[in-house]
This record gives sequence, C-alpha cells and structure tokens, in this order.
Amino acid sequence: MIEVDHLVKRFGRVTAVDGLTFTVRPGHVTGFLGPNGAGKTTTMRVILGLDVPTSGHAMVNRQSYPDLVRPLHQVGALLDASALHPGRTAQAHLTSLARSNGIGRRRVAEMLQLTGLEPVAGRRLKGFSLGMKQRLGIAAALLGDPPVLMLDEPVNGLDTEGIAWIRQFLKALAADGRTVLVSSHLMSEMAQTADRLIVIGRGRLIADTTTAELIQSSQRQDVLLRTPRAAEMASLLAVRGAAVSREEDGALAVTGLDAPAIGDLAAEHGIAVHALIPRAASLEEAYLDLTGDAADFRTAAS
Amino acid sequence: MTGRGMTGPSMTGPNMTGVMARARDVLGSEWTKFCSVRSTFWTLLVAVLTPVGLSAVIAAALASSPGQGADQGDALLPGLLSMEYAVLAVGVLGVLAFSTEYSTGLIRTTFAAVPRRRAVLAAKAAVIGVATLIAGEVVAFISFALVQAVLAGHHSSVSLSRPGVPGAVLADGLLLFVVAMMGVGLGAIVRHTAGGIAALVGLIFLPSAAGVLPAPWGSRIGQFTMLDAARQVTALRPDANLFAPAWSLLVLLAWPAATLLAAAAVITRRDA
Repeated sequence: MIEVDHLVKRFGRVTAVDGLTFTVRPGHVTGFLGPNGAGKTTTMRVILGLDVPTSGHAMVNRQSYPDLVRPLHQVGALLDASALHPGRTAQAHLTSLARSNGIGRRRVAEMLQLTGLEPVAGRRLKGFSLGMKQRLGIAAALLGDPPVLMLDEPVNGLDTEGIAWIRQFLKALAADGRTVLVSSHLMSEMAQTADRLIVIGRGRLIADTTTAELIQSSQRQDVLLRTPRAAEMASLLAVRGAAVSREEDGALAVTGLDAPAIGDLAAEHGIAVHALIPRAASLEEAYLDLTGDAADFRTAAS
Repeated sequence: MTGRGMTGPSMTGPNMTGVMARARDVLGSEWTKFCSVRSTFWTLLVAVLTPVGLSAVIAAALASSPGQGADQGDALLPGLLSMEYAVLAVGVLGVLAFSTEYSTGLIRTTFAAVPRRRAVLAAKAAVIGVATLIAGEVVAFISFALVQAVLAGHHSSVSLSRPGVPGAVLADGLLLFVVAMMGVGLGAIVRHTAGGIAALVGLIFLPSAAGVLPAPWGSRIGQFTMLDAARQVTALRPDANLFAPAWSLLVLLAWPAATLLAAAAVITRRDA
C-alpha cells in the first residue's frame, strides 16, 4: 500500500506537487495519470525517499521509505530505465543491486530468465535497446519480490510487442495481490492496463476513481442522430428537454434523451432516421475533459 | 509470478548483527560495481605502471646528472615525483565512483536500494580505499627497488634497513589512497565527472601557489598544502622550515578526511 498525504514539493518558486493526497491499494493496477509536468515523477521520487517533501509525507506499507530495512523487499521501482552504467553487464548491474539488499545470485538468475534477458546477461548495457533496458528495469524492480511496485512511464518508447508484454506482466503482478502504481501521460495506454486511476494536473489531484467510473462520469455522453429533417427534429427534441447541438456534417448531437426515446419521438412524427448512435466518451476524451479544464481543477470524483 | 518467498534472507531487527549484515551488503554491492567496469582496470593500470616506469627513468636521469650522483639524500625523490603523476589516475577513479552514478541517474536506483546514503559513501570509500592502498604500497616498494637498483651503480642508493626509509616508502604508497579518497568525496559533492576532476586538481595544486610568497610565508602556508606535506613525509632529510613528518602526515590525511566529511554532510541534504 502507498499512502500520500497532503504532499507538497517546491523547487524554488515552482510548485511541482501541491497538496496531493491519495492511497494506492493492493490487488489492482493503478494508473497514475497526468499531462507532462503534472508532478507524477516528483511524487514517485518523494515516495522513494529520493526527494525530501516541502511538507506532507508519503508512506509505503505504513513506513516512511528511509526507515525501510532492505527496501527492495518492500518496494520495487522503475523510474528511468536508461539510468544505467553503460560499461556494466546486465548480470553485474543486477548483482550489485541484489547484494545491496542481501539477495542471492539465484534470484538474479531467475529474474534474468523471467524477463527473457538470460541470453544477453553478459553483454554490456551500452548495446541494449530501450526495450531490453525496460526489461532489465523490471527485473531489478522484482529482485526483492516486493509487495509494492512503482513504475514511471514504463512503456514510453516501446514497440507494440514490448507494450503488450509489460501490460500483461503488470496485470499478473496485481492479480498476485501486489500494489502496482504505473504512471503515464497517455490515457489510451492506461485504459487497457489500469482498473483504478489517479489523475493529477499541476500537482493537484483531479480524480481518484475507477476506470469505468471515469468514463461514466464524463459529460460527453450523447446520441448522434442523422435525419433529413434535422431542424424540425431539433425543435421537437428541445421541447422534450433535450440539449441539441449541430455537428459539422449536419448531424445532431443529443444529450438528455437516450436513443430509444429519440427513435420513438421521430417515429411519432413520421420523421425518417438515418442513423441513431449512442456515444460514450472514450477514456481519452474523459481524461482531456478533466485535465484540459484549467479553470476548475477540483472536479475530483473522489 | 511465483517468486514469492524465494529470496531467503529475512529481515533482522536493528541489532548489531543487523547492522553488520547491512554493512556487508552495501560493501558487497559496491565491490561488485567497482569490479564490473573497465575504468577501474584502466585507471589502476595507469596508476601502477606510471610510477614504476617513471621512477626508474627519473632515477637514471638523476644518476647521470653531473655533480649529484653521489647524493643519497635524493634517493627517494624519484619515487615521490613519479607518484605525483599516478595520483591523478586514482583521483579520477575516485571521482568516477559517484559522478558516473549521478550523470547516468543510476544514483537514484542506488539510493532507493540503500536509503542510508552515508552508508553508500562509506562503502565506496572503503572499496576504493583498500584497492588504492594496496596498489599504492605495492607500487611504492617496487619503485623503490627499481630506483635503488639504478642508483646502486652510482653509489647513491639507500637501503631499506636505513632508519627513516621504510616509513618514507610507506608514506609514498599512501599518496594514491589519499588522493583517491579526495576524489570519492569530490565526486559526491560536485556530481559531475569533469567538474570533480577539475576540483581535485585545483585542491592539489592551487594551494601550492603559496610557495611563491616571500619567506617565511611560503613555507608557513605551504606546509598545509598536500604537495609540501607529501614531500615532507617521503623525504629522507625533511625540510626544517616545514612541519615535522608526523604532523605533515596528519595534514596529508586531513585533506581527504575533510573532503569526505563535507560529502557526508551534503549527500543527505540534497535531492537525488
């Protein structure tokens, strides 16, 4: 479990994290979303004890990170997969990390095997592709078999195969009962991986919800109506209390009435309907609605 | 994911065995890092070959220079002069210990694995300290043997059994350790390779500019510099104007001690 409580982090005049509070629970992949510069990485650094918060605090498994004994057994983190010594081999990199927390060679070998890096274990890291470095980062995060995992933009720059691999991996880890926090600036990516979402913008919490709820709570739920008698239909809908707006191609976007009601209304008046499509906002649109709304950051669904 | 419980080591309480175990962990980790990059091998090779080769060359030049051949007072000078070049190699080795981790971002992985940052500093210093101490002493005694072999033909060699000689040779070997430790400290403070090396060279050589001051100020201030302190502890006939060799040894060790203390002070206060 990760608990962030009224966390504030300022760098000089810049406030990177501005009073953030949230809890990440085990058993789920929790997406940590926000535009670039929203404060995701800073929050993760504070959780790992790398940055000292200006005020507030972050706890991992009810302990402050610097107090953890052999922390790799508690938290596995991947912040920057490229943060490696280019001259060291994959094997040596993992071994040095493992030894720092009293983890044996056998576990290093197992993690190399698990991430498919066994054949390149003896190669120097400067020859590694980004995908291989990401795998190595995950192997490092899993060394201590930790109940909490935290990954910062793990699929950035990966090919489709690599993305699918990580996605399936994270789900398996969460299903195993672990706490998994994954940051991303792309909602589309989280939609397929995370079942819980923490959305932040400008260092503040915007939403702490489930993926399904976020889609539902979006205001962008409407019905697309195509009819040759659009003007007539629009006034009829308005009488019934529906809000109607005209799309660029002449179709009507209707909110306030569902598709069957609109169809019935058209039938009553003998108006032909060419298309009647209920539209749920995509998660991406719901996310843009949230983060794009600079005027009101407190649309929190929490 | 079936790895649960495979790792074995259980967490020990904050007792003495726990502290010892953690110290062993961090030392083992830093030892693995030290041994697994090529720069370690190259810098140590340069640090060993330079003084061994150079000392013999300097001894030969000294022996063939007219009017000086018979002076035994200079018999230890080639060892020191050649060592002054080798210190730069181990200084770089020391700086790299932290600067490469900071410049690649690896330091965050390191500090996330070992949140007690001073333990990381201590472990890096210990690993590099032991390596450079052994290398330095081996080099000092090989150089000594070579230099005396060259000088023997000119009847100006000294024997290791002569009073003061073993201490001077031991002190000569200490120089690599001293500068390597300053490098470790400066690498942690400056966090950049080039900046760290520049700071190291500056701290070694700039204070020696005091030597141009008029007497007696040149030696009064000069005796606090690393170069004069190093000359004093490795000399067969110490300079009467400078600190006695025992005090000079303290001056020599105070420089890396102060640097490492400064590193320990800043390493926990800055965001990684």
